[in-house]
Parts: sequence; C-alpha cells; structure tokens
Amino acid sequence: MVSLKPEIRIGFYVCHCGHNIASMVDCADVAAYVGQLPGVVLARDYKYMCSDPGQELIQKDIAEFGLNRVVVASCSPLLHEHTFRAAVAAGGLNPFLFHMVNIREHASWVHTDRAAATAKAKVLARAAIRRAALARELPQRQIPINPGVLVVGGGIAGIHAALTLAEAGKHVWLIEREASIGGHMAKFDKTFPTLDCAACILTPKMSAVGAHPNITLWSHSDVVQVDGYVGNYTVKVRRRPRYVNEELCTGCQECIGNCIYKEPKFPDEFNEGLGKRKPIHIPFPQATPQVVLIDPQVCLNFKRGVLTDRCKKTCVEACGDRKAIDFTQKEETKEIQVGAIIVATGFKPFDVRRVPQYGYGTYPNVYTALEVERLVNASGPTAGEIVLRDGRRPSAIAIIHCVGSRDKKTNRWCSRVCCMYSMKLAHLLKEHSGAELYNFYIDIRAPGKGYEEFYDKLNEEGVHFIRGRVGEVTDWAMIPEEEGKLVIRVEDTLAGVVRRIPVDMVVLATGLEPHADAQAVRRLFNMSCGTEGFFLERHPKLAPVSTFTDGVYIAGCCQGPRDIPDTVAQAGAAAAEALALIDRGHILQEPNTAHVLADCSGCKSCLPLCPYTAIGFDEATHQAVINEALCKGCGTCVAACPSGSIGQHLFEDDEVFSEIEGLLTADPEPTPALAATP
Amino acid sequence: MPATATPAERVELKSGPPPAAPAGSGGRNWSTRRIERTIKYESDRNVGFGRDVMRVPGCEQLENCIQCGTCSGVCPLSIYMDHSPRQVMALTRADFRDEVLRSHTIWLCASCYACTVECPQQIRITDIMYELKQRAIDAGIYPRRFPIPVLAHEFTHMVRKHGRITELVLVIRLFLKTDWFAALGNWRLGLDLTRTGRFSLLTERIRRHGDIARMLDAVDQPKHPSP
Repeated sequence: MVSLKPEIRIGFYVCHCGHNIASMVDCADVAAYVGQLPGVVLARDYKYMCSDPGQELIQKDIAEFGLNRVVVASCSPLLHEHTFRAAVAAGGLNPFLFHMVNIREHASWVHTDRAAATAKAKVLARAAIRRAALARELPQRQIPINPGVLVVGGGIAGIHAALTLAEAGKHVWLIEREASIGGHMAKFDKTFPTLDCAACILTPKMSAVGAHPNITLWSHSDVVQVDGYVGNYTVKVRRRPRYVNEELCTGCQECIGNCIYKEPKFPDEFNEGLGKRKPIHIPFPQATPQVVLIDPQVCLNFKRGVLTDRCKKTCVEACGDRKAIDFTQKEETKEIQVGAIIVATGFKPFDVRRVPQYGYGTYPNVYTALEVERLVNASGPTAGEIVLRDGRRPSAIAIIHCVGSRDKKTNRWCSRVCCMYSMKLAHLLKEHSGAELYNFYIDIRAPGKGYEEFYDKLNEEGVHFIRGRVGEVTDWAMIPEEEGKLVIRVEDTLAGVVRRIPVDMVVLATGLEPHADAQAVRRLFNMSCGTEGFFLERHPKLAPVSTFTDGVYIAGCCQGPRDIPDTVAQAGAAAAEALALIDRGHILQEPNTAHVLADCSGCKSCLPLCPYTAIGFDEATHQAVINEALCKGCGTCVAACPSGSIGQHLFEDDEVFSEIEGLLTADPEPTPALAATP
Repeated sequence: MPATATPAERVELKSGPPPAAPAGSGGRNWSTRRIERTIKYESDRNVGFGRDVMRVPGCEQLENCIQCGTCSGVCPLSIYMDHSPRQVMALTRADFRDEVLRSHTIWLCASCYACTVECPQQIRITDIMYELKQRAIDAGIYPRRFPIPVLAHEFTHMVRKHGRITELVLVIRLFLKTDWFAALGNWRLGLDLTRTGRFSLLTERIRRHGDIARMLDAVDQPKHPSP
C-alpha cells in the first residue's frame, strides 16, 4: 500500500440551511459520522454555510488545519457551487479541490423519515469524501466573449432590449420575421390603463431602432441555425426576398399607387384581414424599415410564388431610376457572430375557431379583440368608425372574457392581459359608438398600477359587468326584441339568474398562447419549454430572464403572457444580463474537458462523434488529439472510446468509481481507492 | 339526519315595503309575506358531504370548480331551476347536503351533458347530478308525487322484475303514483299509441329474467364506496 502523499486533509461541512435540511436530517450526527472517516481532518455543522461567516469559517480552517480538500453537504451545486469554489480559492486552495454534496434536494426535501434521511445523507457524504480525496488541481481557462448581441423578435420587447444594448455601445442584430418591427403593440389603438396612444409611444422607438448606428435590423428574416456556446455563438439567418432592394428603396410608395391592381384586393394582414392591400405594399404607415415588399403569392409577375415575368410591371416604371424593385431577388443566408442572444419572439393570439359556441366565422358581427383594436384605430380599415361587417352600427356590444384562457379544453392558464384590454376596448367602443357595453367575465384581474382605478372608471362610465362565462352566442330569437340580434345566454352568477342579452356585436377577448413553432425555436436556442409551451426561465423568481443555456436570455410574452410595462421591464432586465455577461470580456471555462491518454490505439471511433469537432488526429503519433479550447466536456468520446483511452477532467474514472464505491459500501472502512495516490 | 334546516324564525309583516326575499317565494300580498332567515350556520353543514361526493369516480373534478356559470349558461333547463347548476356545485362543495338534495335542480336535469361538454374545468356535472339524485333517493328526500324519481323507481323496478319494461304498465303506474287525473287528460294519446302498436297490452319479459336481478344486485353492493 502506498502512503498518502501528499497527505489528504479533508474538511467537511454540513449545512442546516435553516430548517430546510436540519428539520429532516440530523446534521450534527452526519458531521460526527463523517468526522471519523479516513482522511477527514475536521467535520462541522453550521446553520448557513453560504453566509459570509460560513465561507470565512472554511477559509480559516484551511489556514489553521492545513486542509487540502473541502467538501460541503448542502443544497444543489447549481445554486452554490460557485460560492464555495470562490471561498475555497480565497482560502488559497485550487477551487477544484472542493466538492459539493446535495443533501437538500436529494435527502431532506424528498423524504419524510428523519432517520432514513439522515442515513442517506451520511452515505452521500461518504461517497463525496472518497471522491474528494482523488480530486486534482485544475487550471481554469478564460475564453474571450464576442461583444455582439442577437435579439430575436422585433416586438416591443425586442425593440427595447436592442435599444438598451445599442445605447450601451454594443452592436445588436435585430431579427424580425415580419416585414416590419413593432409586433402586436403596433396594432393596438390605445394602451391600458393610461389610454396612451400605442403608436405614439411605440413609433419613436421603432424609428430609433431603424436609425441607430449600432443596430443592424433584418426584417423578413428568420434564424435558422445557432452553433457555439456562451460568448461565442455563430448564428445563421435566412433573409427572405421582399423583391425590393432595401438599400435603394426610399419608401416613397409610388410603386404602390402605380400597381397594375387599381384597387387593393387582398386581405391586409396588419388590419387582421378587415382591410385590403395590393401585392406591393407596406405593412402600415410607420413601418420600420420603410421599405415596400411584394407578395409573390398574389403579384401578377409571379404564379404561386414562381417568377413568370407576365406583368406589365408598372411598379418598376414608377420606381424609375431608383431601380429598387428586383424580381430576381433570392433568399440569402447570412452568418453572424455574437456573444449573447435575447429571444423575444412573443405570442400568438388564441384561434377563436376552437370555441365554435361563440359563433366566430358563423356570425359576421363576432370579432376578435385584435380585430377590434384595428376597428377603433384611426388608421384602421374604417378610420376609427365602428361599422360592422354587415354595415350596421352597433347599439349594444358584448365583450366575452377568457376566450381560450382558464379553460382546460383549450388553454388552462390565465392570459393576464385580457381583463384589462377588454376594459380598454369597452371604453373605446363606448366612446366611438355610444353603444351599451356588456363585459362577461369569470373574475376581473386588475393587479397593476392604476388598473383597479381603471375598472372603477369603467363602472362610472356605465359599462356593465356581468359575472358569468357565456354559454353560447346565438341568433335564435325567442322574443321579438331579439330578432336580428346576437343573443348572449349566460348566468349572471352574482344575481343568480340565467339571462339572455341581445347585442349587435360580440368581441371575443382572446387569450395568449405560444407560437405554433415555439418547440422548433426552443430547440434552435437549446432552451426548455414549460408545460404550456412558453419558454422556461432558469428560476421563476431569481433568474426570470435567464434560460438553462448560458448566454441565452428571454424577454416578453414568449416566456408567458404579460402586459407592455412588464414586457419592457423584462426586456431591460434581459439587456442588463447580456451586458453583464459581455462586459466581463471573458468567461471562465469549466475545466471538464476530455484528454487523450497515452494508450490511444488510433481507432478514430471518437472523431465523428464529437459534436464540437474538437477531436483531431495526429498522423505522426497515430493518436487522437483533443483541442481543449473547443471541447465542451460533454463526455461522448469518453464513453465511446473502446479502449478507455480518453479521460475527462473533473470526471476521471477513479473519481467516479470511488464515489460509487462510497455509495455502495456497507461499512465505513477505508478502501484502497482512498489510500491510493491521487 | 342532522339539522334539517335553520329553525325558521318567521316574521309576519304587517305593512311596509317588500322584503328582500328570493323572487317567487311568498305571495303577492306583501302584508302576509313570510320573511325567513336565510343565513347558514356551520351547524347546517353536513361536514364531509362534499368530499364524499368528490370521492365518487367521475365526480372528482368538482374540487376545481371556479363558479364561472358556464353550466347554467348552456343548460337548457336552468331557466326552470330553483338553484342553478353552478349553485348546486357550490352548495355541494360547501357541504349543504339538505339544501342540495331538496333542490329540484337535480330532478330537472335532462342529462343532455351540455354542461359537462362545456365546463372549462372538465367537471362531469351531469354525473354529479346523477350521484346527487341517487343520494336523494337513498335518503328519501324528494317530493312524494314528483314524477321524475317515481319514473326512475318504477323503471328500475320493472327491469329488475322482467328484464325489460312494458310501456303501458309503466305509464299507468307512473300516473297512479303521481297525478292520476293527468292520465285522464292523456287518454287520447294513449289510445293512439296502443293502436299503432307502441303500447303492448301484454307484459314483456326476457328469458331467464331472474339473472338480471342477480346482476343488478351484484352491482348495487356496496351502494356508496365508503371513504
């Protein structure tokens, strides 16, 4: 047997974590047990190891007792491994001579039997002690960070995040799927509860994005591939053709006036299909960038998207010397390098056709909330007049809340904004039409600054609030007054009676849901989704804009339904997190890289397996060579090597095996692994 | 049976404005209108009743009721009910057993399942109505000459005895046990049904009808799974 050289001197600390651990694990007993294990110089239990006194205790013991290994049994390494590594480093030890045991998530929180939980904590600690004895000093490498940031999605979240970063002097690539940035907010008429004009507060920010020297705005584009890792992402962006050269187009829109179609004929996406546009169009007057685009599905010069050159091309004539229109434009893929990514892809309004009992699509005067936003808007299809699809003007309007929200058959979550925007629409509709307004709600949720006051104001304005989820919308009249009307059948749950209320117009307050392609986007950026399909934050309270992938942040409704103030706040937070990362200038790489041992046989099995192409082959020595700058420590090659000739720092075979032995050994006797030379 | 109802403290109003009493209760003559105390005391609850109902397979989702009123909004018969289906759900959950079992809502339910289809919390309201009806019959709480429980009782009785029903006999028994005057008013319909062969004059039965009674008995035990 080889003597311990240098002598292993382990300090063991078990944390009470207040009552979190101490209530289910006898910490003093665990410390006493570990204290008599070989190699352990001291074992203590302490109320909060992560506190400053707790960390100082470790440093003091390192100096006083000459510790050369530290093991802390406490919470998850995700939470505090970096805290203790830093404390150990401050005490003068290599941070990788520290090892952490999770006896909170793995023992106290998940068990109800104190004796058994204590026994399990002892076993986990014993395994860690064995592993720690074999820990090696490792260097930590610094990797420089690319200072550019990619912002995906040009709604209010993306715009705010991009502007914040650009103002801080970082270069931002803002990628937007639609032809213009602005997102859903650009479609809104007013914003609750202050009734600010949405366009008035949004468009200055949109033009600031368009004009900012630090922002590269690519609209009508998609992110198709993301490679790399925190600080060094390589992103491929597909730029779809708009058949108009962005550099040459001045936004004069003469081409639109001269299009071969004299009248707008095709449903206008921006006005939710309520208005019409031509094949060559600009999404809305304040669109950013101010560049027209051609819809190849309806343009006469194309047939089903394929260029035919059959049109007289009056638009090209109108464009004249500017020569901005280019029917031969092709899709291009561009590659950019960034250090951080902010995903702000927003939401999709619930498809109201999924609740047929409310008659959308059957009765022309049933509208979605977003359609009504356009209807009340001065730049909308009716210039703000409330004219129904059948040309009538309504004298009574029903707003049905929770359509596609709080319903287990569709979406079970509360969409958070519908109560407030329904009240806003009620106010606007009353103002524009003088009609009687009825809100049908399950619960009014107005938890925001000035929101309850807004509800009060609506009550004072004489808007009716009826507590009851609407059973159905029907045109079947039972009494003469209901003839030619849409009838709402509902229980007024506060009055306790079933009511029939005839109205002329029905507004469905649609909920918010994740985009249909949220799963594909999630995979693209290596994020997680919650059960609802919204992107998952790293911690719901303490890391609300971070994801489980370092350097990828989320903001806005892609994380969950929220209103504009919350979205802007979150976008600012995401920008700050990205800045904090980038301004550090470098990241410390976890030294968990793989390394080839001397007995490599040169079989090349590992070469094609490496997802980071970090493995090369040295023809001279006929052995594999791992580029540790590229290795991400995934361990694929380590597991795959047929001769076991690849090791991995932090996860060496002897470390892992001795930990397993520690778990499975019944007696606390020393084993050869502990006594062997580290 | 525990506390049947609040000790109704009745007040005879001699004069004055109409009291705030549920619409329809009391006569048009305000001077003789009864005022009852409508408050519910904890002693009026049958603690555990709601939990017990929710333990029955199919009724578990009642825990999640958000009292949105969709059930009443879609119910074609809610316009006739003393308590709307939503109120029955709330009273059940709050353990007001007697109030629920006395309500004629459970008897008016036509089992169209519209409420169950539309409920945003996927509560099987129709199934809960059946469970409540069953409990009302077991407890003997239902209006004596109310046709719906009588029909249910006669129907199952006949099936148990003969394996199938004979419509004519069933209808006659129903009328005799509820309102035999109504039978006189429907004599013409009865005659037409007999003439077109819809009413068999002979008792219909299946072969080995004793087996079905044994089968039903087996299903009936135990009536309610104890907690």
